[in-house]
Amino acid sequence: MAEYVFLQAANGLVTGLIFALAAAGLTIIFSVLKIVNFGHGVLYMMGGYAGYYAIHLLGVPPMAAVLAAMAATFLLGVLFERLMLTPLYTNKVDRKDEYAIIVTFGLFMLLENLGIVVFGPFNKRPPSFVEGGLHVGLLTITYDRLVAAAFAALLLAALALFMQRSSLGQALDAVSQSRDAAAIIGINPHRMYAIAFGLGSALAGGAGALIAPIFSLSPTMGDLPSVQAFVIVVLGGMGSVPGSIVGGILLGVVEGLGVGLYPDPNRALAYSNAFGALLLILTLLIRPTGLFGRPHLRME
Amino acid sequence: MVRGTLRAAGWAVVFLAALLAPKALNTYWLHVTAIAWYYALMAASWALLAGYAGQFSFAHMAFAAIGGYTSGLLAVDLHLPPVLGMLCGVLAAAIVGGVIGWLCLRLRGPYLSLFTLAFAQILQLILIAEYQFTRGSLGLSVPPLFHGDSDLPYYYAGFALLLFSLGIMQLVLRSRVGIFLRATREDEDAAEASGIDTSLYKIAVFTLTSAMAGLAGGFYGHFVGILTPNIVTIPEMGLVVAMAVVGGVESLPGAVVGAVFIWVLSEVLRDYGQMRFVILGLVIMLTQRFAQNGLVLLATRLIAKRLQPQRVEESGAPAA
Repeated sequence: MAEYVFLQAANGLVTGLIFALAAAGLTIIFSVLKIVNFGHGVLYMMGGYAGYYAIHLLGVPPMAAVLAAMAATFLLGVLFERLMLTPLYTNKVDRKDEYAIIVTFGLFMLLENLGIVVFGPFNKRPPSFVEGGLHVGLLTITYDRLVAAAFAALLLAALALFMQRSSLGQALDAVSQSRDAAAIIGINPHRMYAIAFGLGSALAGGAGALIAPIFSLSPTMGDLPSVQAFVIVVLGGMGSVPGSIVGGILLGVVEGLGVGLYPDPNRALAYSNAFGALLLILTLLIRPTGLFGRPHLRME
Repeated sequence: MVRGTLRAAGWAVVFLAALLAPKALNTYWLHVTAIAWYYALMAASWALLAGYAGQFSFAHMAFAAIGGYTSGLLAVDLHLPPVLGMLCGVLAAAIVGGVIGWLCLRLRGPYLSLFTLAFAQILQLILIAEYQFTRGSLGLSVPPLFHGDSDLPYYYAGFALLLFSLGIMQLVLRSRVGIFLRATREDEDAAEASGIDTSLYKIAVFTLTSAMAGLAGGFYGHFVGILTPNIVTIPEMGLVVAMAVVGGVESLPGAVVGAVFIWVLSEVLRDYGQMRFVILGLVIMLTQRFAQNGLVLLATRLIAKRLQPQRVEESGAPAA
């Protein structure tokens, strides 16, 4: 029993870390562009498929394919930002929140259904990072999960370092705090918007490529993580990267406990995704800024 | 003046065409158009909520489900007549809508969208999980509203419900409430400062539009005969958003035209399968990018220009 709980906790931690990576992307887009990307889930899906095709068509080794997927989704994100989001920075759009919701939702519909047409509705599974698994008593944790979790943790650490130490990261943070003040000291906000959306997309894509060998790929694979990423980001606080990490782990624990403690086990599984949604609703009602929300990033 | 008459004449033609259309439609297209009324009601009420009141809800389909399932379950379990069941469905949707509207008061912009998205997801999971009541994913068989095989009564019933609801919504918008709603959307703090009880109107509009979604859902259930949790899914919501965006989110008749256009288009493109939704996604993005007031307004302006070339030259001069 203890081993089972340990295994569940370990699995929760792995998916929590990967979802936290996608959520960190969402939070970067939010803090710099001040929009919620409703198309985040499809970027995650595109990352998964980009990795898959990098392995199968270009012969890239699985771990390098994650980086290739991130590069591909970075470009996709920048392309979308340049084509669709530039009206946000002018006065051509009256209501920016709604404009952003509609176009990112359009991106979601476009790519998810294009995925079904192009990639086919059936699941695809890329090869493992490392075959086999770690045995704990009678139970096994696959090496894939361990590698993916370590990779995700590494990327999150690199992201935190990048945001705090590099001049580009500082510039992004400056734009997130005040676009005008950043422009005065010579930071081009338009470049930062493109970079932020690209970076956010790349993090979603990287998460998709990491999860691909664990759960297989399908065009609708992004539906759940996008809601999960919203939960994580709202729980951790919009605009806070550490908040995303804590939020990701908390969400994993709450879903685990929710399923474990629900009286009717059959229904508990059916409701497993409802616990996250409930957490989102409660956070929005009780503390809309989340646990680590930064006051200057509050949505007005 | 001329433009106003032209517009009235245009709507009269549309109205007559809708009344006479069944004579020209075969049974398949009659069925399709009758469903189009359901989507038109959904898109128009969503346009009021999102476009006028600025409350960008992703839960609109959830209220249709509440209306449909309430009416369906009452008819199946308690043998209530459909008309009475639909009224109860409207009431249930209105009550839940009021509560959600009240809960959402503090939330602005995307936060409200996230909240309503989460609510819709929970409702969908409840409909799937509580299968001993709802029949889960298998679907709930709902008794028909009218007896007989013809879809003709549904066509006119749907059209009447649509006109009735549009009438109520237009009355609301023409009254002071419409101005209050727009003021609240443009600048909530300024509206508050002007003495508008923004909370009251926000809850009221959420309740009203939810009731209309509930009405649409009840009609849809008793017409199609089966309700599944799929009506709450994101693609269904996306369809309604696409309809309103193409029609223009700030125009109720525009949303109706957008709904009929998109629904008929998606039926015409049925052979292309999933490609339809790819096109819809593209249409949403491009409309929003290049014609934010919707394609219907764009089209009517182009037509008006063509009909009255002299008006274009005059437009530079100040109005007398």
